[in-house]
Amino acid sequence: MSVATATYLVRRAAQKERVRILYRRALKDTLNWAVHRHLFYEDADLLRARFETNKHVEDPDTIDRLIADGEVQYNKWRHPDPYIVPWAPGGSKFTRNPAPPEGIEIVYNYGREDND
Amino acid sequence: MQSIRNSISSHIRLRGSAEQFLFPRRGNVFKQLHRQMCTSAGTSPDKIMDRVIGLVKKVDKIDATKVILYVKKRVTETADSQKDLCLDSLDRVELVMAFEEEFSIEIPEEKADKLTCCVDVARYIVSGGEQKNVNPE
Repeated sequence: MSVATATYLVRRAAQKERVRILYRRALKDTLNWAVHRHLFYEDADLLRARFETNKHVEDPDTIDRLIADGEVQYNKWRHPDPYIVPWAPGGSKFTRNPAPPEGIEIVYNYGREDND
Repeated sequence: MQSIRNSISSHIRLRGSAEQFLFPRRGNVFKQLHRQMCTSAGTSPDKIMDRVIGLVKKVDKIDATKVILYVKKRVTETADSQKDLCLDSLDRVELVMAFEEEFSIEIPEEKADKLTCCVDVARYIVSGGEQKNVNPE
């Protein structure tokens, strides 16, 4: 395999990764913006269609431009207060009732250990 | 008057029967409630596996017949979702999002890429549940 094809393949793999991450984030953001579930399904279909329209583009430079375009649009429409799973970092239950450090435990007969 | 008495007596009888049902195994009832409320935490790996496979089956693009074949061969659990089920990368993203919502977990982007088959997903969910259980104690 020549160097040119190798670099081309590497570039394509990186582009696929970028598209996947962009789609994942955009889909999550669509769910954040949707007030109801049935609205989300329509928006998700539209988003998928927008990705599908450029499915067969072959030129790497054009793909890069399209991806950059998509990322700019995603950043523009990013939700200010996205949903976070409660126990994930930033969620409402994150580090609530954290586990005590090692070696700390509850002593039930407190105050009587030395006297009795 | 008669009707009121009837209704009250039936009500009391109902309550009595309910108490008989509840009392001898009150602990069990609470345990069951607890189990029903914690959807992601307190389930066995087999149940998680079933739910994962059920979610995969619900995807529109996957042929039901294919899944049935896979279930018969017991290959579903190790089927590569990209090759065997004819999913493209965007479908896989949607599937991972469905898993996240079903089990109310967050799968980081690097991890989501590596979850190729149902076994991987179930294993990841079980391990995540264990971490979650360990933390509050």
